[in-house]
Amino acid sequence: MRKDAFFYGLLLLVTLSNVSCRKEPLENRGNPNNLICKTYLSQFEAIWSGMDQGYVFWDRDTVDWDARYEEYRPIFAAFDARPANKPVTQIEYMEAYTGLFAGLLDHHLTGRFYAAKGIPHGQCEAFVSPGTNDYYHSVSNSEALRLQLKALRKRAVPGTLVEYSPSNEYGNPGSYFCLIPGANDGELIAYFRFTNFYMVQMHQKYQWYPNSPDSQKAQAPARAFYGPLYHEGITTEAGYANNDSVVGIIIDVRGNGGGSVEDLEPLIGSLSQSPTLVGYTRVKEGYGRLDYSAWSESIVKCPSLHLNKQKPIVVLADVTSVSCAELATMLIKALPNGTFIGERTYGAIGGLYSGGATNIYHDLFYSGCFGDYQYFEDGPDPYHDNFTYYVYTSTFHMVDNTYGDVEGVGVQPDIEIRFNLSRLDEGTDNQLDRAIRFIRVGH
Amino acid sequence: MINRLTIPIVRGLLLVWLAAMPAVLSAQEEVQAEPRTRHFSFGITAGMDRNYHSVDMVYMSDMKFDKFRTGTVFGLRLGYAPLKWLSINTGAVLIQKNYHMDHVFEYYYLRYSLNTTSTNDYVNIPLELKLSVGKTVRLHAFGGVFGGYWLKGHRKGVTYSFSNERYYSFDEDYEFNDKRDNRIEKGFTWGAGLSGMILGKIEVGAEIRWYYSITDIQKPYMTNLNPRYNTAVAFQAGLSYWL
Repeated sequence: MRKDAFFYGLLLLVTLSNVSCRKEPLENRGNPNNLICKTYLSQFEAIWSGMDQGYVFWDRDTVDWDARYEEYRPIFAAFDARPANKPVTQIEYMEAYTGLFAGLLDHHLTGRFYAAKGIPHGQCEAFVSPGTNDYYHSVSNSEALRLQLKALRKRAVPGTLVEYSPSNEYGNPGSYFCLIPGANDGELIAYFRFTNFYMVQMHQKYQWYPNSPDSQKAQAPARAFYGPLYHEGITTEAGYANNDSVVGIIIDVRGNGGGSVEDLEPLIGSLSQSPTLVGYTRVKEGYGRLDYSAWSESIVKCPSLHLNKQKPIVVLADVTSVSCAELATMLIKALPNGTFIGERTYGAIGGLYSGGATNIYHDLFYSGCFGDYQYFEDGPDPYHDNFTYYVYTSTFHMVDNTYGDVEGVGVQPDIEIRFNLSRLDEGTDNQLDRAIRFIRVGH
Repeated sequence: MINRLTIPIVRGLLLVWLAAMPAVLSAQEEVQAEPRTRHFSFGITAGMDRNYHSVDMVYMSDMKFDKFRTGTVFGLRLGYAPLKWLSINTGAVLIQKNYHMDHVFEYYYLRYSLNTTSTNDYVNIPLELKLSVGKTVRLHAFGGVFGGYWLKGHRKGVTYSFSNERYYSFDEDYEFNDKRDNRIEKGFTWGAGLSGMILGKIEVGAEIRWYYSITDIQKPYMTNLNPRYNTAVAFQAGLSYWL
């Protein structure tokens, strides 16, 4: 009897041990980076999933992405069910994707979606960019630049302005250098402005094609400020930055749309005397929205060619300063001798890898851009209907060096001076004048 | 904390257990007097465990989680034996449920190798029935349920830094995310072991035990959530004193 009870008990234990109370894993629907979509619904599912798993701001974003699924899935399913005589219109397609992405925090986020020929009654295309700011300028960047340069000419020491304004704003960076009188006789302030962070790439281009017609002109402002090796840092005494008569520096990144982080070390890191902790970044480390890696320090190195002594450095930035321009602003702000004057920046600071060759980074970090970059860049291709979408979004979540959130918020100035169009129209750049006063007076 | 305390304790207990076994086997007479007339016991146990972190990475096929990862176990146990062959046991066990993630990505000339070792301290409270047979050396089989709490996490490894475009090593305490991390754990426990009596009142034993968690380590904070579970297999030795 006792023996029977023992073995029945043992049997019960073994039986209990084999009871599985665990949830089943999800069905594998493939990598959203390279899914082929033949229906509106499958395209929606691929894009929704890509954002669900790969968007890096889910811990901060207030959008209820599951609710968006419930709301928009029936809309895309209904598109597929349309009769041939009532095709989906461009406006309907655009509205559906605009609504899906509305309010998301990532200020880099841009999506291009195409109902390709494989999709019944297709040929619609949508382009979304949901990032919004609570303030903006009422003039274009190029007009603001024109007015600010006009005001700069009034402040510059005559004959010192070196400028390069390319005809195509997507080509070489425009760049501007001049000297401004300091507080005392013989003292100067060096001013340098550039319109995007492709200075090192520009150098590489002219290294390969030195006889290009605008090679000298395009590099002249940077050479005047940094010296001939501007792509490596500040050359001692060859550029004005290290000149003893220069008592302060103004770096102007207003209207700067960003570019490559490759520029940060030679152009901004060289203004310091040691490596600078700008902030922290992290990527995804799994399938869940909140599966994050550890934070990694984002340090901009100081190149061997750097500013030989500390001088007051003011960075001028505003809501038109984007991405790398914001990183540069954060870096200068973090320097002991750095001050940020101007407006809160745009707020697109998450690090990002994009482009045909770098789209693989989605498969490395499981975050950031996904889809077909070639379509994003070149538009629909009748011979290439595999991919019908591309989402351009941050690969890295970045915070500042106090773990403060900057994405969608922007970098806060030390001294806030708002963009003033009416003063600019009168020929006065109030932000530039405040920077000059700061260096001359010390506060 | 668990590591520092447990490793010497485990070694000590194993030595005591090994030293005691000849005495157990040779002391038949004293052994005849053992647990059947005694009802309550208390004791300590220690050992090591191997944890299996179960997660389906869906399409993320180059992100691998090691099958097992070693941790340490240390616990207090209480027992009540209404019958010679049946007892009810409980206690509190500090157990590590560790895992390791390797993510090697290769694309033509590019090769990135990222990894994270996650060390997780749990307290588990089992409640189980134990069936026992034998006289000199007793054989036990037991099973029941356990509840637990995720006390602390630590992670160490290599990730990638954007601005520096290089690897970045980290070694830090894990900061729990209230929205994601489910720190409450429950599950089944079962196993088997051997024991013997020494000095009349002290039972020394060793066992192998499974802690099979049925709670996802993540809260259901998103619809498309892939579950993650821990299964720890513990090898423990211990001493109990019978009142």
